Amino acid sequence: MSSTYLLAFRSLRARPARTLLTTLGVVLGVAVILAISITNLSTIDSITNLFNETSGKAHLAVISATTSDQGFPEGILSRLTTVPGVKVAIPSLQAQTMLADEAAQGEVSIFGVTVGGLTLYGIDPSLDRQAREYKIVAGQFLPLDLEAYDVVLVKDYADEKHIQVGSELEILTSTGVEVLRVVGLMSKEGPGQLNNGAFGIIPLRAAQEIFARLGDVDQIDVVATAQAASGAELDRLKSALQARLGERYTVVYPAARGRRLTQMLDIYQIGLNFFSIIAIFVGAFLIYNAFSMTVVERTREIGMLRTVGMTRRQVMVQILTEASILGLLGSALGVGAGILLSQALIWAYEFLLAQEVTQVHVPWDGLATSVAVGIFVTLIAAAIPAWQAGRISPLEAVRIRGSRRASWARRGLLLGATILVISYLTLYHNPFSPAIHYEMGRIAVFTMFVGATLLIPSTVGVWERVVRPWVRRIYGAEGQLGSRNTQRNELRTALTVAALMVGVTMILGIRGMTSAFEHDIRNWIEVYIGGDLYAYSSLPVPYDLGPRLEAVEGVAAVTPIRYFDVKWVQPDGDAQVLTFMAVDPPSYRRVTSFVFASSQVDPDRLLERLAAGDAVFISSVLSEKYGLQQDDTIRLATRRGERDFTVAAVVVDFYNQGLVVQGSWKDMRRYFGLNEAIGFMLKIQPGYAVDEAQSRIERLYGERRHLTIASNKALKSRVPALTTRSFSMFDVLAIIGMIVAALGVVNTLTMSVLERTQEIGMLRSLGMTRRQVGKMILAEAGMMGLNGAAFGLAFGLILSHLLLWALTALQGYELTYVLPTEGIVVGLLIALVVSQLAALWPARRAAGIRITEAIQFE
Amino acid sequence: MPILQAQALRKQYRLGEHTVHALAGVDFLVEKGEFVAIMGPSGSGKSTLLHLLGGLDKPSDGEVTLAGHRLSILNDNQATLVRRRNIGFVFQFFNLLPTLTAEENIALPLIIDGQDMRKHQARIAALLELVGLTDRRQHKPDQLSGGEQQRVAIARALVTEPAIVLADEPTGNLDSKTGTAIMELLRRSCDELGQTIIAVTHDPRAAAYADRAVFLRDGQIIQEIKGAGADEIGQRLRLIVNAMEELQL
Repeated sequence: MSSTYLLAFRSLRARPARTLLTTLGVVLGVAVILAISITNLSTIDSITNLFNETSGKAHLAVISATTSDQGFPEGILSRLTTVPGVKVAIPSLQAQTMLADEAAQGEVSIFGVTVGGLTLYGIDPSLDRQAREYKIVAGQFLPLDLEAYDVVLVKDYADEKHIQVGSELEILTSTGVEVLRVVGLMSKEGPGQLNNGAFGIIPLRAAQEIFARLGDVDQIDVVATAQAASGAELDRLKSALQARLGERYTVVYPAARGRRLTQMLDIYQIGLNFFSIIAIFVGAFLIYNAFSMTVVERTREIGMLRTVGMTRRQVMVQILTEASILGLLGSALGVGAGILLSQALIWAYEFLLAQEVTQVHVPWDGLATSVAVGIFVTLIAAAIPAWQAGRISPLEAVRIRGSRRASWARRGLLLGATILVISYLTLYHNPFSPAIHYEMGRIAVFTMFVGATLLIPSTVGVWERVVRPWVRRIYGAEGQLGSRNTQRNELRTALTVAALMVGVTMILGIRGMTSAFEHDIRNWIEVYIGGDLYAYSSLPVPYDLGPRLEAVEGVAAVTPIRYFDVKWVQPDGDAQVLTFMAVDPPSYRRVTSFVFASSQVDPDRLLERLAAGDAVFISSVLSEKYGLQQDDTIRLATRRGERDFTVAAVVVDFYNQGLVVQGSWKDMRRYFGLNEAIGFMLKIQPGYAVDEAQSRIERLYGERRHLTIASNKALKSRVPALTTRSFSMFDVLAIIGMIVAALGVVNTLTMSVLERTQEIGMLRSLGMTRRQVGKMILAEAGMMGLNGAAFGLAFGLILSHLLLWALTALQGYELTYVLPTEGIVVGLLIALVVSQLAALWPARRAAGIRITEAIQFE
Repeated sequence: MPILQAQALRKQYRLGEHTVHALAGVDFLVEKGEFVAIMGPSGSGKSTLLHLLGGLDKPSDGEVTLAGHRLSILNDNQATLVRRRNIGFVFQFFNLLPTLTAEENIALPLIIDGQDMRKHQARIAALLELVGLTDRRQHKPDQLSGGEQQRVAIARALVTEPAIVLADEPTGNLDSKTGTAIMELLRRSCDELGQTIIAVTHDPRAAAYADRAVFLRDGQIIQEIKGAGADEIGQRLRLIVNAMEELQL
């Protein structure tokens, strides 16, 4: 056994470039799988941790069952403290504000998360520290006076805003500016991480006064006694509290509050999981290619080993030993690369969530899985070259090897077609549930690539004949010699074409998904951000501002908008938090319109139905995901108990990832006790300049009412950039795919040049110049690039359909398929350019062959 | 005027720390239409001489003039063009392109020269006729026997009507009967087409087809015989080899 390892190490060391290339294949596969695993776990952990830390030692939290936008009477505290198992109940009020000297910071992302501003928690200083830890780094903690207008801010935020201990802080409220005194600064830990550090605490009474919420709290954190602090006892306490409080309140574990954020990542996880499968395929291809090349190069050496007595089995074990060494090495390096790659993915997630991911975990099971996959895939990919090596005859040591004519074309055609048919059936005619269908679909993507790879040899000859006149035109007569060479080793050509195919497929798949999103979101935004201007604030704005805005010269109509969270009680008893978008139907129709899922509706009649009350519109995402149709009912938790609302219509709405219902202002006032708007949409009269009206409103109400007036044109123009940024992480994976494809082309052509050294020497002796030799190699690469691009085009379009299907089936997004023409052109160009660039070095090597050495080369 | 002239040719190689003197001053002359065989024991420098005569390599010293071209002053591209139009090569291992038919392999020098094969159909047909492969013109190399492949290679070497054909062990990979047929073909091309041929060979029977046999030893020409038969050539070669062995002892 020791001689096996000795030979294996020597062989790997003797070919550093080849060893590196093979290792790269393993590193790629392991890195992508691990990066995805780390990113998903870290993000979820961070969010969970964030909510855990803000709740600190609290074991449970009591919140309103209806909406997070309004509180509940603090009087229920007395009901809680008498429940056995409750050590202490800690009230808090949560408010969103902004500094008086700043314009509205809110940036509405398409996912409905507003960031910026300042989050303030009104707390009871004598109780709160029993639940939460505040690390005071300057000044002091809040005094025990509940009515003092004191504030403790996060130091990072204070430094950014040039605020010190002792400063006065002016904040905006719905009634005007209030002044707080900064008594202390805390570190950005625990609750200090909320709102990315733009967070502060003030005494509870002061908060209730300032924000006109007298007697209200938003959350009560419960610290349990030692006996009730965990496991079944904690569950019993939770149930007891729920029973004591009734259906108007919900008792939750603190971490569960993070679910709203993590559900935003579902789309990305679908895409990333698909691409992890593709990464494995690409990695396996690179490994196979590299080992194939090694076996070819070492034919004489292996023949010699056979001559001196090595059996076929020993030869195979030799190759597999090298593979396992590389598998281990590549997996180890892949772990490091995966951690690095996860940083890029985590950055993308941080952008999406507008929250720092502070907990980067390397999950042991993810680590073990990725390493196991790395080693396993290496061994599988090296198995065929190992078997081929075992078949090398001892006579190879003493004779010129002839080119082995493979009969892959015939066998591959049948097998490849069969695999493609099975993949197609799995993908498109799968009777299982969406979750199982999805998992089978992921595997089917892999088998689809395998099937296509097996088909490629049969197509090479056809392609070459079709494209030959063009090759001659571009590369000359020597180019034709090059393009014909693609038929000489069908398997090697197939694998190179396959690598390019996968790269183009990834580009097209991503572009297809992005195009569909951009198209539908653009159409939706066009109508959704209706009217001409949008006046909004980070703080709730009185409803009566609407008529005042309408009275401004040039304004034709104004309609209010309000969003708040509402709990949807599903038939199986589960609860889902949705966004309730409240509109005033009569004024809404004067400014803008909804995008109805069906064109066969009467919008006016539906809006009247909405205005009448006890009805909602639901998004097409909810309709698709939960099978809800017009005239169905959905049950929402309101201040007056759970109520059924009739589904009056299905509309296209991507706000909050489609988890949104639209209802009337009347119902919002009646059932949720809210009457303030978050913004107003304005329509300007024909003939009036929009920017003039905008300036006029800014002068009148901008500062006074702390409003930001934006033109809808400007808002709409930001959406495409946001969408592109949101999907940019997939472009990273596509680039990696093309780099690997390029390495595959380099590898294949280098092997091809090596095998044809004598032949190239002959051509040079016949009078082929170095330049002509180079062109011959470039033509061969160009042929493979074109072939790969064509296959990639076909499968890329399939993959883009597939991704959209997965989104519909699993998340309810029904997007319009848009042919990604830009992606098609880019994919084709990239395949051709990559194949040519990758061929430069082999072409140079071929052109540099010394004739006398070449013609004696064996 | 000789078609090929080599003067004081020297060629040295570095092999690790040692310098190998492959050719140690060779003067060599070939007249138009002549068939010359170059012979010698292993390591005598015969392949090196052939490579220098064909412009495949540059001498360390000396000069080769082929059809009026001084090869030493040509750069790589110029040398390549001279080879393309003035020299035909026949190799021991045939070296046909497996993706081309027999007809296309014959036309390969023309293809490389950017010429349209169709314009040279008559010439190609004549060569196919000469080598006896008219009915195999559409066959690929793996459908041809060794002898047939070598005949295609000979036809390829003749297609540009070169000033000279250089053959490196043309029968080295063939059985004796096929080898004989190949040498007869070369002889015929010399007699019927006036082709000048230089063939490196270790086989006295092959060398017997030549007008003149030149013997190398230790990088120098030591003997020449004209019009000798296989037995005499073989005898001379044995004497040279024996003399070398005695020296080494």
